[in-house]
Amino acid sequence: MMSILRPLIIIACLVLVWQIIIWLSNVPHFILPAPARVAEAWWVHHATILGHAGVTLLEIALGLLFGALLGALSALALAYFRPARRWLLPVLVASQAIPVFALAPILVLWLGYGIASKVAMATLIIYFPVATSFYDGLRRTEPGWTDLARTMGASRWTLLTRIRVPAALPALASGLRVATAVAPIGAVVGEWVGASAGLGYLMLHANGRVQIDLMFAALLTLAFFAVIIYFIVDTGLRRALPWQPDKLPTEQEE
Amino acid sequence: MLFTHIRRVLFPALLIFLLGGQAAQANDKLTLLLDWFINPDHAPLFVAQEKGYFAAHGLEVEMIAPADPNDPPKLVAAGKADIALSYQPQLHVQVAAGLPLTRFGTLIATPLNTLLVLEDGPVKSIADLKGRKVGYSIGGFEDALLRAMLARHGLTLDDITLVNVNFSLSPALLAGQVDAVIGAYRNFELNQLAIEGYKGRAFYVEEEGVPSYDELILVANPDHMDRAVLRRFLDALEDGVRYLVNHPDESWELFIRGRAELDDELNRLAWRDTLARFALRPAALDRARYARFAQFMQDQGLIEKALAVEDYATVLE
Amino acid sequence: MTNNHHQPSDNPASKNSRADKNSCAGISLAAVSLRYEGKYLFKELQLDLPQGQCSALLGPSGVGKSSLLRLIAGLQPFEPSGRVIIGKNQAQLPGHLSAEIAYMAQQDLLLPWLNALDNVTLGARLRRQRPDHARARDLLRQVGLADYERALPATLSGGMRQRVALARTLMEDRPIILMDEPFSALDAITRLRLQELAAKLLRGRTILLVTHDPLEALRISQRIFIMSGRPARLSEATLPEGETPRDPADTALLAHHAELLRHLRAADDDSAFGAQQ
Repeated sequence: MMSILRPLIIIACLVLVWQIIIWLSNVPHFILPAPARVAEAWWVHHATILGHAGVTLLEIALGLLFGALLGALSALALAYFRPARRWLLPVLVASQAIPVFALAPILVLWLGYGIASKVAMATLIIYFPVATSFYDGLRRTEPGWTDLARTMGASRWTLLTRIRVPAALPALASGLRVATAVAPIGAVVGEWVGASAGLGYLMLHANGRVQIDLMFAALLTLAFFAVIIYFIVDTGLRRALPWQPDKLPTEQEE
Repeated sequence: MLFTHIRRVLFPALLIFLLGGQAAQANDKLTLLLDWFINPDHAPLFVAQEKGYFAAHGLEVEMIAPADPNDPPKLVAAGKADIALSYQPQLHVQVAAGLPLTRFGTLIATPLNTLLVLEDGPVKSIADLKGRKVGYSIGGFEDALLRAMLARHGLTLDDITLVNVNFSLSPALLAGQVDAVIGAYRNFELNQLAIEGYKGRAFYVEEEGVPSYDELILVANPDHMDRAVLRRFLDALEDGVRYLVNHPDESWELFIRGRAELDDELNRLAWRDTLARFALRPAALDRARYARFAQFMQDQGLIEKALAVEDYATVLE
Repeated sequence: MTNNHHQPSDNPASKNSRADKNSCAGISLAAVSLRYEGKYLFKELQLDLPQGQCSALLGPSGVGKSSLLRLIAGLQPFEPSGRVIIGKNQAQLPGHLSAEIAYMAQQDLLLPWLNALDNVTLGARLRRQRPDHARARDLLRQVGLADYERALPATLSGGMRQRVALARTLMEDRPIILMDEPFSALDAITRLRLQELAAKLLRGRTILLVTHDPLEALRISQRIFIMSGRPARLSEATLPEGETPRDPADTALLAHHAELLRHLRAADDDSAFGAQQ
């Protein structure tokens, strides 16, 4: 019961704070519209908004899939092959240092204005957190386990697949959680550079036509779906790693 | 002995210099938000600045270039800046959406928008757009302009595919990703193509069924505007336009003074092509022309009702 | 001379069959030197551990007991002048002794994603062999965890986890067992029980037990070495008679305990003095 009520209460509080800010600061409606106006805009345009939401969700899902896959494979390569570390690690760091906004037009030029460039953008943003978390986890394997495995006669490959990888799965899960949180950003940035569908496109379009209420309605829809996706991924990861209980004492049942 | 003498002269001289400076700072300050990064469309403003016309009218104008063209009118409407450069079509929509804005001057008195194709491409007339891809930027009105232009040739928006290419109009056209682009400026994108070695052909929107309008206008917030100060601003601007028209080459030197990054081939060519389009009388207003365009916007469904011109445009006496 | 090659046991119930086959599986160290941060931990250390017996290694913290254990396990390289000899095998590089040795540390080192049974059969998996589940179950029964084969380590108590680790060590069926303070993290009663269990199940193998608990050494070992000084030196202590595990209430044992404490005290002073040099 509480688990359903709690998010509703939080949302209600946030809306109340939003309304209070408007009352207190006298900000004009074309810069920050009141919750009521945004709700009305959502009601009127909900079919359009949800249609565009579908496109953005697809971009996010594919970006997560490819980004996570590439990230995990890179981390494994880095952990297992010493030359890979020397050559791939600087590339990895550089990939994160370049602002995605600068890469976006190039991706669009190569991959066109369809969904491919947006998925590529999302993949790029997701790749780094997944690769570094997983690599970190692979590096930091409990030394006792590696000692034990060596005395048992494990080869370097068996050590990697049977001990380092399972031990690093919680770290990978952390990386995936971060990736899920930033995935919507990648998709939307891609849409800003050139798209004909998606919530990012809708927001830009509404902004250009001075339909600020609609822009906020689209923005909040994006935020809502981002939270839902995070929740799904988080629950899925917790189920997949049942041996990693939440360590915080208040969450343990006595 | 000499020291005391110098001190007696130098000190008061310094004081007068400083105080004199203070007196000069009793100018009226104005913040002006450009519509985009500095480019030849802003020529008269910078000529007025560099030739000291603003100062001569007792004004100190701070010009700021935004990254998002949608922001300046909103900021002026919110009272955060005095003047914004904006576009006449946007003004109609913004006022209809309730923004407190009014046009008090014009910078560029003709449309700059064109439908651009490659000279040796498949599109020889607008009728050839049937079944083809047209690229556009998100400004909000490109589809309305296209609808009007297509209607004259018996086509509708369903006969073409619209592709949002955002600001990469020329690259998209050159790469063949689209067959035509709308939202290309006649002074810019045409020259951009020429520099790349391609010949472009422009269909001018006002020749293809869209009523004439002002591409760049000056807007202020009617609740906050100081009419006397803004009148002086327009006087200084008119001085700038006059000098620009009479001395275009010297004006170019003033434009790039201290802004070496603006001195490139594209800007040179654009400069030449924009000269004939500046409003020679920035303060003047043609009411019927504005009303006609408002009606056009209503017919295209961009605004619900064409408002009275007084509601969004004013003449400063 | 019997050969020392590792062979799978055909009789799962027999605990000591392997030990009988390896009458030469003692450990000898000859002129072994190890440096840590420039200073010698041990210099030309000599050690002979009899096969089939449990030897305890006591000493103050930091003297190098764990390093010595890791060295023998093949996890720690040492200077080329030294030799570690196990039965007929001589080695100096890490990994070369792994066929003879089973290792049990202070932490249970159970893999948290595997249940108890899979943890016990870990060695076979790591060597890409088919695990002997029947024998693993039997070992779990012997350590008293017959009903827990599907349990994840997170659901087991510390003592239970260390018992699984003991079963895993037994599963490896090696002639040499190296134990690094395996019971020190447990409470007193659990520790007593596990000492008895280990003494019973590991009988007949060559064991080197590092411990900081002199009572533990007295209860379950047949020889006690005390390590002290820098570079470390080994000295032997006298032992009470009797079969292991010895009764902790036995007066003779308690007398030896007091004696051992005196000895350790002196060793600690010696170490402190040595470290200052």
